[in-house]
Amino acid sequence: MSAVVSKVTKRRSSVLDMLRGSPIMGPFAALVLASIFFATQSDKFLTGANFSLIIQQVMVVGTLAIGQTLVILTGGIDLSNGMIMALASVLMTGLAVQSGLNPLLAILIGLLAGVVFGLLNGALITAIGLPPFIVTLGTFNIAYALVRIYTTATITNLPAEQLFLGNTFNIGGTEITYGSVLMIILYAITWYILRSTPAGRSVYAVGDNPEAARLAGINTTRVLTGVYVVAAISYGIAGLMLVSRTGVGDPQAGQTGNLDSITAVVLGGTSLLGGRGQIMGTLIGALIVGVFRNGLQLMGVGSIYQVLITGILVIVAVSIDYLSHRSK
Amino acid sequence: MNPSPGKVLFEMKDIGKSFPGVKALQGVNLTVREGQVHALLGENGAGKSTLIKILSGAYTKDEGQIFFEGKPVEIRGPQDAQALGISTIYQEFNLARNLTVAENIFLGHLPRKGLSVDWAQVKQRSREILDTLGVTFSVDTLTSTLSVAEQQLVEIAKSLNRKTRILIMDEPSAVLGEKDLEKLFDVVRSLQAQGIGIVYISHRLKEIFELADEVTILKDGRYVDTRNVSEVTMDDLVKLMIGRELKDVYPKRISAPAEVLLEVSNISRPKLVHDISFKLHAGEIVGFAGITGSGRTELVRTIFGADPCTGDIRISGRPYKPRSPADAIHQGIALVTEDRKAQGLFLKLNVTVNTTISGLKQLCRYGVIQLSKELSLVEKMIKDLSIKTPGANFIVVNMSGGNQQKVVLARWLSIGTRIFILDEPTRGIDVGSKSEIYQIMDELTKKGVGIIMISSELPEVLGMSDRIMVMRQGTIVKELSRAEASEEAIMSYAVGSEAA
Repeated sequence: MSAVVSKVTKRRSSVLDMLRGSPIMGPFAALVLASIFFATQSDKFLTGANFSLIIQQVMVVGTLAIGQTLVILTGGIDLSNGMIMALASVLMTGLAVQSGLNPLLAILIGLLAGVVFGLLNGALITAIGLPPFIVTLGTFNIAYALVRIYTTATITNLPAEQLFLGNTFNIGGTEITYGSVLMIILYAITWYILRSTPAGRSVYAVGDNPEAARLAGINTTRVLTGVYVVAAISYGIAGLMLVSRTGVGDPQAGQTGNLDSITAVVLGGTSLLGGRGQIMGTLIGALIVGVFRNGLQLMGVGSIYQVLITGILVIVAVSIDYLSHRSK
Repeated sequence: MNPSPGKVLFEMKDIGKSFPGVKALQGVNLTVREGQVHALLGENGAGKSTLIKILSGAYTKDEGQIFFEGKPVEIRGPQDAQALGISTIYQEFNLARNLTVAENIFLGHLPRKGLSVDWAQVKQRSREILDTLGVTFSVDTLTSTLSVAEQQLVEIAKSLNRKTRILIMDEPSAVLGEKDLEKLFDVVRSLQAQGIGIVYISHRLKEIFELADEVTILKDGRYVDTRNVSEVTMDDLVKLMIGRELKDVYPKRISAPAEVLLEVSNISRPKLVHDISFKLHAGEIVGFAGITGSGRTELVRTIFGADPCTGDIRISGRPYKPRSPADAIHQGIALVTEDRKAQGLFLKLNVTVNTTISGLKQLCRYGVIQLSKELSLVEKMIKDLSIKTPGANFIVVNMSGGNQQKVVLARWLSIGTRIFILDEPTRGIDVGSKSEIYQIMDELTKKGVGIIMISSELPEVLGMSDRIMVMRQGTIVKELSRAEASEEAIMSYAVGSEAA
């Protein structure tokens, strides 16, 4: 009898071990299981066209979540990201359509506006030592106000140069947008930087223990400022994706970008305490949300129930992660 | 000492506990009597913490039995332990820093009078408990304003308020200076006189002889023996713990005079460090002795560029102005901090990241870390320093103190550090790992490295240093040669009682 018991404990702990060993195994398993479930519920789910659609649907939040992941890895949080995205997108479209600027130059200025906000976030956090939550809550409101001061009307009739990320190419009969590809490329670049460069290591080190990082010779001010700036660039690119996907510059956009991106990060197994997490986990987290929304939609479940299920999903996922770490 | 042992309070028999991949405890016994101080001894990783966590309900045992006053009991959680009267004082205190002393003592069970809290009773009862401990500070004091020693007393008061019958103290002396230590011993003896059974964990063998009645030794998660303290010698205990003689702990050092590596002139930092000058030669270990707060840590932090200072520093004759730790590291200086966990390590990250974080540039090609080169470097360090770890990917939080310290040393060794500053290099580290760290220090000096060692353990200062600087109130009050130095001489200068 006791032999049976110990066998069971052993098996249980080895599963937990595996999850602990590779932090994105859990989210990945969830994504696969969810996909299998929805494939049994709808014939349309398991098609190339549908997967292409899911990626397009998660593209904007997925790209916002790249910056959010970097910030969270340093132990911070960025509430301003959706608004930085909105500011970048109305500026790039507005300057092109209303001020007649070269559309590509307008894109650049939109991205630069994001960078300015990234610098502002980074400077306030490092120079004064304010908590990221407070700083980005402030810049969230500032960016929101700037968007509405700049325009309250949706900017339409965009030049083709600003819509190219929405263009598609064909692989094996499936239409894929350039924006989807760009998001995947951005994830790959971020993964590589985090894994194989001194800067990437510094992000983890500062997130785990800022004082130890400083005493190990890391310029923590530069790392943190850098992270908020790089994050802001990802928000600007998300803005361009948004524009190309909707075809307009929308002053109402981005208001839930912060929470949606945090959802993806958390579902991907990244710790809100900093220092622990994987960028590819975030991509999986974003896809989990996308797969659930898409699958539920195919099943005819109303959109408010999709939100309900997303909420439950977050709590379940974090509980599993928490329990697997506490069980030792 | 307790001449007539009281009746048995509790008995742990054949306790076993496994974690994934590790057998942490196997066949461990522990019997504690009323009014007895029972020392638990073992190297880091020997299983002491696991054992007391089982007793206090933080872990559940896999095997074995626990008897409380002869009756078998199951401790499934902290509540069960509390109901039995088992209290634990961990190294990291469990105090609400923004509450008063009285509020902390009654935290979780404030007495009621009608709908509101009976504050009069809280204060009066807190006062009574503090009085029994010989404590003078007010019960209205904000806990965060107390010294570490005082906070420890609040922890003890907290447990007394809960009708404690067994008090587990996990290295209570590790955070205390000499003076506070005596006070702690008095408190422990008075608790003993009240019939409380005390499980006392410490790395300092001297304390065990001063305080304990019995000692149980663990090694590698197994039970070694339980002995009467009056019937063993220090050497016996060391042998039981590690199977090695005490006299082998310090390497025999031969130092030859060599060129000056570091010259510090008139360094000051307002209120903390005053006008300090000294030289460090290649191949030399300079020990810095002094009581807590004498400015030793503050001094080395300024040399390392972690805090600002005025004065003149030269490295191999060239002027050096420390602006940041990065500057200091670039000049070949390393600081191993006294608080490994808070300032040295990235606890949630693995051995590799912890080892190479300060030397990534050397591992890069075109700005990219060559991961295979990095891994072979880390594996070499693991082998060279005999770091006990399942692998380079192991998260350091799960390693023992001694192995964690070796990881910190590996970080600095791997980048060719010429000046090592070691602040309490063996604090909280077992005798076996200590000896290994001394060996590493000795090897380093043979290669021409200069070492500044801050230590509050006088045997260590005497055993390792070529010269000893005694600091008091932010200044060097005396330099002693190896021949002149003795524990008495160092202490008399450190506390300022030296004959004029």
